[in-house]
Amino acid sequence: MGIRKKTINTMDSVVQIRERKKLLDLTNAILKVFAALLVLVFVLYPFLAVFGKALYRDGQINLSEFLFLKDEFYLLKNSILSATLTALFSTIFALSISLMTFFVTERQKKIIMFILLLTMVSPPFIGSLTYIELFGRNGFITRDILKLSINPYGLWGIVSVQTLGFTSLNAVLMIGYLESFDHTMIESAKSLKATTTSILLDIIIPLMKPAIAVCFLLSFIRSMADFSTPMIIGGAFNTLATESYLSIIAKGNSPRASAMSVILFIPSLIVFIVYSHFLKEQQRASKNLRETQARMKKRGLYYLVLALALFFILWLIIQYVAIFSSAITDKYKGEVYFTLQNIKDTIPHIRDSFVRSIIYSLIAGFFASLIGLVLSFYSYILKSKFIRVIDFISNMPYIVPGTFFGLGYVFAFNEEPLKLTGTVIIVILNLIFRQIPMSLRAIQSSMTQIEKATLNSAKDLGAHNLFILRDMVLPMSYPGLFLSFTNAFISSMTTIGSIIFLVYPSRKLATFVLFDLVSSGKYKVASVLSCVIIIVCLSVSLLSHRIFNRSSKYVSTN
Amino acid sequence: MFLQIKNLTKKYDKVEAVKNISFSAKEKEIICILGPSGCGKTTILQSIGGFIKIDEGEIILDGKNIEGLEPEEREIATVFQSYGLFPHKSVIENIIYGLKFRKYKKKDAIAEGKKMLEVLNLRGYENKRVTELSGGEQQRVALGRALIVKPKLLLLDEPFSNLDTNLRANMRKELLRIRDHFNITMLFVTHDQEDAFSIADRIIVMNKGKIEQIDTARNIYLKPKTEFVLNFIGSANVDRGYFVRPEAIRVSENGEEATIIDKTFKGAFIEYIIDYKGSKYKMLRLNNEEEFEIGSKIKIEMEMREL
Repeated sequence: MGIRKKTINTMDSVVQIRERKKLLDLTNAILKVFAALLVLVFVLYPFLAVFGKALYRDGQINLSEFLFLKDEFYLLKNSILSATLTALFSTIFALSISLMTFFVTERQKKIIMFILLLTMVSPPFIGSLTYIELFGRNGFITRDILKLSINPYGLWGIVSVQTLGFTSLNAVLMIGYLESFDHTMIESAKSLKATTTSILLDIIIPLMKPAIAVCFLLSFIRSMADFSTPMIIGGAFNTLATESYLSIIAKGNSPRASAMSVILFIPSLIVFIVYSHFLKEQQRASKNLRETQARMKKRGLYYLVLALALFFILWLIIQYVAIFSSAITDKYKGEVYFTLQNIKDTIPHIRDSFVRSIIYSLIAGFFASLIGLVLSFYSYILKSKFIRVIDFISNMPYIVPGTFFGLGYVFAFNEEPLKLTGTVIIVILNLIFRQIPMSLRAIQSSMTQIEKATLNSAKDLGAHNLFILRDMVLPMSYPGLFLSFTNAFISSMTTIGSIIFLVYPSRKLATFVLFDLVSSGKYKVASVLSCVIIIVCLSVSLLSHRIFNRSSKYVSTN
Repeated sequence: MFLQIKNLTKKYDKVEAVKNISFSAKEKEIICILGPSGCGKTTILQSIGGFIKIDEGEIILDGKNIEGLEPEEREIATVFQSYGLFPHKSVIENIIYGLKFRKYKKKDAIAEGKKMLEVLNLRGYENKRVTELSGGEQQRVALGRALIVKPKLLLLDEPFSNLDTNLRANMRKELLRIRDHFNITMLFVTHDQEDAFSIADRIIVMNKGKIEQIDTARNIYLKPKTEFVLNFIGSANVDRGYFVRPEAIRVSENGEEATIIDKTFKGAFIEYIIDYKGSKYKMLRLNNEEEFEIGSKIKIEMEMREL
């Protein structure tokens, strides 16, 4: 828009400006409605479709599918039992690790964060894989070292694998929570002669209650929704999630699978409500940060915290050492030797799927961030009430278990005019919309840095909303967009649950190949593939850390 | 001397935050460290409290060298700028927390706590959450929590910075009253000159990690030792090593001639800029005194003091 134009021919330019404004307004409206439509069609509709499948038959409400709650009550019982134990252990370990940050140096803290990051960029069955290799019937630790032959499958196998997998995210959440702590509380307590044990028990742990509750519940639903771990090492121990998965894959019984998914959704909903509450608490708590780090004496309860944290970190390290060494070694007559054969064997398995995974994930990362930006612009910056509702709906994929979201896509898009099942599009759409909640969070957190006065100034100078989006909001949201892209990429690379029913058998993704390899006992090749996925995701993650030097607070779950 | 700081030095990454600081305090004295942000005043407080390790120097309290002791081993209590109250505990639980580590029975502790609440004028607040309290009330709880353990020295970090102007004035009085009740030695840091002037027996003015002057409020104002002190405490007209405070310029028949160049109404007083022998001076007069117009000629008298 030229100032010069205005001075040359005022009449002309007034007409032009008016025309132009009309066009911009129209574009603005279309953009807004389009974003909203996308969310309604690809989030809300599939979500409702699952409920429809579970509750309706022949146009009537039909609750017969929920009879499994009575007839196969053990499924629910097993799910709740394993989820409770997993949640308990993964919260206790995470608490210990987060408390250790009060006793370690900055450098040691960075190392801990790196190890935690490692588990968050790993594909989901890596825990099961190493568990079998270390503790299985032919396990390195159980058989070769301890000379035992035990059955590692069942409840405790599931609980230990899940605990190992879920603790890291919990720990990262708790460390983030502790960083917003007013350290003068600890210093005050110290100057009143409080011991380490008292400070931990009287002040820090009680204040961490919301974080502890969220981590417990988060692990609980992740465990409830996890079908792959019980599939691989559950043995005879069946859970709702595995049964729901098998109902579709083996029996083709989608109403039954839907009913089970609906039951799995209930605890997730509770967690979401608690989580929103916790976020508010955290915002209230985060004030008055001090540079000095509160030190505490290494006494009393410290030793328990240290023992638990060390135990967990060691366990994690063993897992990764095992997987990397398993990828490059083999055994012959009991002798372990170095080999590249595993890597060669892996190539035919991953040639197509790996490239496909990367391409899908790149697309998902890009569009999830783009849609996230548009939605955030209307809901967070312009405070549009209508888009705020859409914003809320678009958070649903965060609440529901992955398989629930996947089932929704199967039911919603298997008929004209939106027949997408069996296509590549449906997989990518699912990946995109599954990541939107995390994208919204990352983008909106960087938008908090944008001052309202800046945007008002632009408006004052005559900039249309679309220009504000392009010239102000977009460049100022780069850190959030980048983080959103990274998270969405990593999540898409490592996810399986939400797309397992959508992927066409001939167009498998890397995680699917990995799942097949682990299920069919090809552990060596599976190790190599795991390593490759970890290395790719880790490089992307570290690169983005280096570029934007952000905390990994928002690194998402699988 | 009750409290002695000898040659204290603290470096952060080789940058000296405070260098070679020495001062002392008598028992029951109130000492204030006054200075702009970044002058090292909080570093001194934290060193005495034991929250940071010092690089050099000695800290002697009541004849005992406490340098090297942990905060919990020093008979010192600290009230932090953000108060550091425990938000999940009630007022009385906050107040008596320190007694837990001094082998008090719960019942005795509560009795002590209630006595403390009386002194603090917080009777009836026992079971309130600290988050429900106003800023001034929170501050009193923080004070009570520190004082109940009968420390030998009380440290206060910017005690009034979170309070608004009127509350500040009240809390200064409250602090003095509470201090008289407990007769405790106090050391507090502030960047607010009024805080320092209304409470402290002696003031330590600091700049860039060094002490500029230690003296009473009166002497610091009237006999500043350095140009920094002169300018940091109030304003002044300076001319070749001599200074005069704006209010010390008097209008007098016997004086020498000066011209009014500018004037600003400031409420209780009027600030004039005058031309005197070719230099500009700032002059203050109360608003009920004779008022001059810009351009008018007056006669003034003043006594320049040596810095």
